[in-house]
Amino acid sequence: MSSIIEIAQAIQDSSIGVAIAESTVVFPVIETVHLLGLALSVGLLLIVDLRLLGLVLPKVPVATVHHQLRRWIFTGFTFTFVSGALLFWAEAGQVIVNYAFIAHGIFILLGIANAAFFEIRLVPGAADWKESLPGAARFAGAASLSAWFLVLVSGRLIPYLA
Amino acid sequence: MNFYETLQNSAVGHLISESNHLVGAAFQVVHIVGIVLLLTAVLLVALRLLGLGLREQSLQEVEKLARPFLWLGLAATVISGSLFFISTAVIYATKEALQIKIVLLVLAVLLQFGLVRRLVAHPASKAVARGAALASLTLWLGVGLAGRAIGFT
Repeated sequence: MSSIIEIAQAIQDSSIGVAIAESTVVFPVIETVHLLGLALSVGLLLIVDLRLLGLVLPKVPVATVHHQLRRWIFTGFTFTFVSGALLFWAEAGQVIVNYAFIAHGIFILLGIANAAFFEIRLVPGAADWKESLPGAARFAGAASLSAWFLVLVSGRLIPYLA
Repeated sequence: MNFYETLQNSAVGHLISESNHLVGAAFQVVHIVGIVLLLTAVLLVALRLLGLGLREQSLQEVEKLARPFLWLGLAATVISGSLFFISTAVIYATKEALQIKIVLLVLAVLLQFGLVRRLVAHPASKAVARGAALASLTLWLGVGLAGRAIGFT
């Protein structure tokens, strides 16, 4: 454990880490990219999740909703992950021992695992889904909704549970 | 005492500033969840106007889908944001970034409710729709940047 903390501290102390942390322009701009990427990814994913639960666009097939939003969700996640990695670079030594950050990481992994299961196992058959969706699809929607909500909450709490 | 001091010294102001710091954190969580809901609505409509998302649904359908997210998001962000402001009004009132944020926010909301509603009722040319979408996205980007800048100025 202590070696992980040392590595994180070395990342934070690197020239790029220090440059990001000390800039009053770069740091908030990266935070803004993180926030807007989040809206694109988690926000539009919310529409897919709510469709899986039958709460929005009930008459539009899941495959139609998913197919049209998918690339924007992935684009958003790319922005969020890259900006998140840069924020980590600047604060690695502090956040690695922060409970909110640890929870943030765990919920992200759960969200990704659920998304991978949905994309690989369920999406190929989605075109055949009739009005009532398979239980696995509804479960994946609820799991995604919960995981990303907790990612959002734990992420925002990082500065407060230092 | 000026207006901001009165606000900060009000019962609500004291209640927030004297409460546990986790209460402030909870308001921050409400604020960011509200931002995501609000921007979900903005993005759904903007992508549809740009012809880049939910193209198989009509603009009317997309606007109807987005509406509850817009209202919920606005309510959550404005209420939580006002509570931050009341608790620390004297300092916040001097922040230029906050003033810029409020101006951009008002413009963005007016555009969202005004122009978009109009486009739904009276479909315009593609160029007008795209211009409206780009203006909306630019304004919201500005709101986000100004909002993040508040703590750094």
